[in-house]
Amino acid sequence: MVKGLYTAYTGMLNEQKRMDIITNNLANTDTTGYKKEGVTNQSFGDVLAYRLKDNSTPGVDPHKMGTMSMGVQLGETYTDYSQGALKQTGNTYDLALSGKGFFAVQYTDKSGATSTMYTRDGNFGLSKEGYLVTQDGDFVLNSNGSKITLDPTKTTKIDSSGNIYQADKLVDKVQITDFADYNYLQKYGEDLYSTAAGASKQTSSAQVTEGYLETSNVQTVSEMVQMIDITRDYQTNQKVIQTIDNTLQVTANQIGKL
Amino acid sequence: MVRSLWTAASGMLAEQTNVDAIANNIANVSTTGFKSQQNEFKTLLYQTLQTKTTSANGATKPTSAQVGLGVRNAAMETIFTQGELEQTDSTTDFAIQGSGLFAVTDGQGNTSYTRNGSFTWALNSSGGVSLTTSDGYPVLDSTGKAISLANTYVSSKITISSDGTLNYPDSSGNAKSLGIKIGVYQFQNPGGLEKEGNSLYQATAASGAAINEATSTAVTKSKLSQGYLEASNVQVADEMVNLITAQRAYELNSKAITASDEMMQQANQLRS
Repeated sequence: MVKGLYTAYTGMLNEQKRMDIITNNLANTDTTGYKKEGVTNQSFGDVLAYRLKDNSTPGVDPHKMGTMSMGVQLGETYTDYSQGALKQTGNTYDLALSGKGFFAVQYTDKSGATSTMYTRDGNFGLSKEGYLVTQDGDFVLNSNGSKITLDPTKTTKIDSSGNIYQADKLVDKVQITDFADYNYLQKYGEDLYSTAAGASKQTSSAQVTEGYLETSNVQTVSEMVQMIDITRDYQTNQKVIQTIDNTLQVTANQIGKL
Repeated sequence: MVRSLWTAASGMLAEQTNVDAIANNIANVSTTGFKSQQNEFKTLLYQTLQTKTTSANGATKPTSAQVGLGVRNAAMETIFTQGELEQTDSTTDFAIQGSGLFAVTDGQGNTSYTRNGSFTWALNSSGGVSLTTSDGYPVLDSTGKAISLANTYVSSKITISSDGTLNYPDSSGNAKSLGIKIGVYQFQNPGGLEKEGNSLYQATAASGAAINEATSTAVTKSKLSQGYLEASNVQVADEMVNLITAQRAYELNSKAITASDEMMQQANQLRS
């Protein structure tokens, strides 16, 4: 009886977490280069169930009844890395990637430590010193892994493989990296991905389009359907808890009453 | 649960700013030399929901299950595409074709830049005439000085060449250069210019210093046209589509808040 109470509780808790993830997708329907996230659920490990004080078969006590699962938890959160639509901006340093790949960014955290992060958000600009930077001022890296310096007095063109030309001369190349297994990418926020230990890089076949930005790949309809699903699942689990509570109430107050 | 409430709230806030920017674009659809603005969004930080995660076939994943905490406005980008040129009957209306901007001074040593070439010849303190904006700010020439002439010139006879040189007809009616060139300046990253209202921009660290078209050899020079004004580059159809998207996204986020609220209500009803 009380077992069921806790099982339904894990169900409610799990639906809450699913709701958090769906809401984040909805909040990011307009975020540049955002990739939608999903979540899978997993039942708790099976446990053996016993029947105590069963004298039907002498000598066998307790009786095994088979297995049962006592609840649900998150299996994994996954990211749908499918291509987002490209939107035109006309700005020189707005780059969109078509195909699998990421820009590399040197991220500086609040304590001043730097690390390389990856992003699909190509909304870049030029700093006072002439470095190619993100909107937050983090440096965009070139194919050798160093910062990109450009001459602010010359016109700039960037071709589909990321080569940067100034006044028709090749000056640098934007780094575009792909990964063999996207499971090794961790979300940092700020549109950035960090890598977990064991991530292996590979060359990217993605094409750069200058003057465009990649839009979010969130499908609002599917998110809404999932939201309905979540709220109803939550409600169902709530009903289970209420039912068990009612049953317990009867047990506590009415059994043995004349 | 409270997490999803705040996430949705951040989404609503971001879409509100988006609508603000779109409304400003639509309001300036007839503003001379106006450049439309666009919002750029970024994700907020991520939090770990569960450290140990397994994929569908039971293998342990190298990363934890993470949830994002919403969205924020990263930047308001200005889209510096060319606006179309509209003919006017004024000889002091100038339009720039290309990426240059006019430079004006506020009289206190601050230089601002503008695409609005609706100028007039105004009397100045030394008795001559100065080329100024409609707000009275003197327009600068290619050497950075205010453009002023003696009052013996008939201002309606002054013409300009496509590079901005002022010409005046001599006694036989042939246009002769006055040796003054309207200053046209470019920026490496015009998106980084700071808007200060009245169609004026200010140079910032992000935009880089002004590049004088008259002295720089590397830039593609702009062309000036007399008797034309540059219209706003706002595309009304695009703005309307953006407005619909922004409004719907706002609505979706409010639905997420309602749903979260209902779930909390149900949790409250557990113990009746």
